[in-house]
Amino acid sequence: MSTQPFFQALQNSELAISIGQSNHLYGVLAQLFHIAGLVLILAPVLLVNLRLLGAGLTNQSIAQLVKATNPLIWTGFVFILFSGLFMFAPSAALYYPNPAFWLKFQMLALALIVQFTLYRKVTATEKPNRALAILTAILSLTLWFGVGIAGRAIGYVAA
Amino acid sequence: MTPRDFLQQLQDSSLGVALSESIYMYPLVEGLHLISLVFSFGLILLTDLRLIGFFLPNAPVSEILSKLRPWLISGFVVTFVTGFLLVFVNGPTLVNTWVFPIKLLLILLAGLNAVWFEVKFGRRIAQWDTQLQYPKGAKIAGWISLTTWSLVVVCGRLIPYLNAH
Repeated sequence: MSTQPFFQALQNSELAISIGQSNHLYGVLAQLFHIAGLVLILAPVLLVNLRLLGAGLTNQSIAQLVKATNPLIWTGFVFILFSGLFMFAPSAALYYPNPAFWLKFQMLALALIVQFTLYRKVTATEKPNRALAILTAILSLTLWFGVGIAGRAIGYVAA
Repeated sequence: MTPRDFLQQLQDSSLGVALSESIYMYPLVEGLHLISLVFSFGLILLTDLRLIGFFLPNAPVSEILSKLRPWLISGFVVTFVTGFLLVFVNGPTLVNTWVFPIKLLLILLAGLNAVWFEVKFGRRIAQWDTQLQYPKGAKIAGWISLTTWSLVVVCGRLIPYLNAH
């Protein structure tokens, strides 16, 4: 099954249709959870990446910052995933031709790859190689902020 | 001059017209408003969570405040400037919604709370931030900050939904 029929099938599914027919208030609520999730994920990512750049909370160890921010990131992840699916499912086929939508998820894929390889490796060592830490921070911040900007652009790019 | 007239003047100004006529400027400004939000609201959220005692409870408050301040303030500068530009574009339609004036009121409240915290506790912070029991007022200021800034973001996100009518 290629992607477009899948998007169409998702949009035509019973669950998606019932979401689409639900009160618009829920849609607005989903937007609020989406931005709350964004802040809960990106504020910790920013804090840890600043630390990798040698800025921000430099008196705390990298491991401490990662550990302290993990609950926020996971809460944000739950918020953003479910609110995102809620917004996506009823209009999946509408998002299909939208280039900003694809850009967002390509950047998200890259951001997650960096998060679970380079970022995980660098934040696991207390004194990471300086150049590698800076490279990781720049990559991570660019990709994560890129996901946010591309997400914001979805509404502007005519489908 | 009513607020509506004032907003109309902003919209009709050369800056307002230039922003509205460009295809890229509005989404770009809005994107910057969102990203700077992570610096301003995101970092103040972490600071508030520290004041409340939920985040990095063993780190001195003074350290969190002083080390995050430059990033947080830079974030607020960008958030405010881009927010101001968005007002230029949106113009008088903003007063059609009750949520925009409420957002401004909440920003004022959050700002006053920050000033109150700074005057009342900020200067003596070195004395209390290593103690287990720090001033109750400081914790309350943290809760007020967390609540007001969160509501500011909620109101901001609601503007396009309530603006259409």
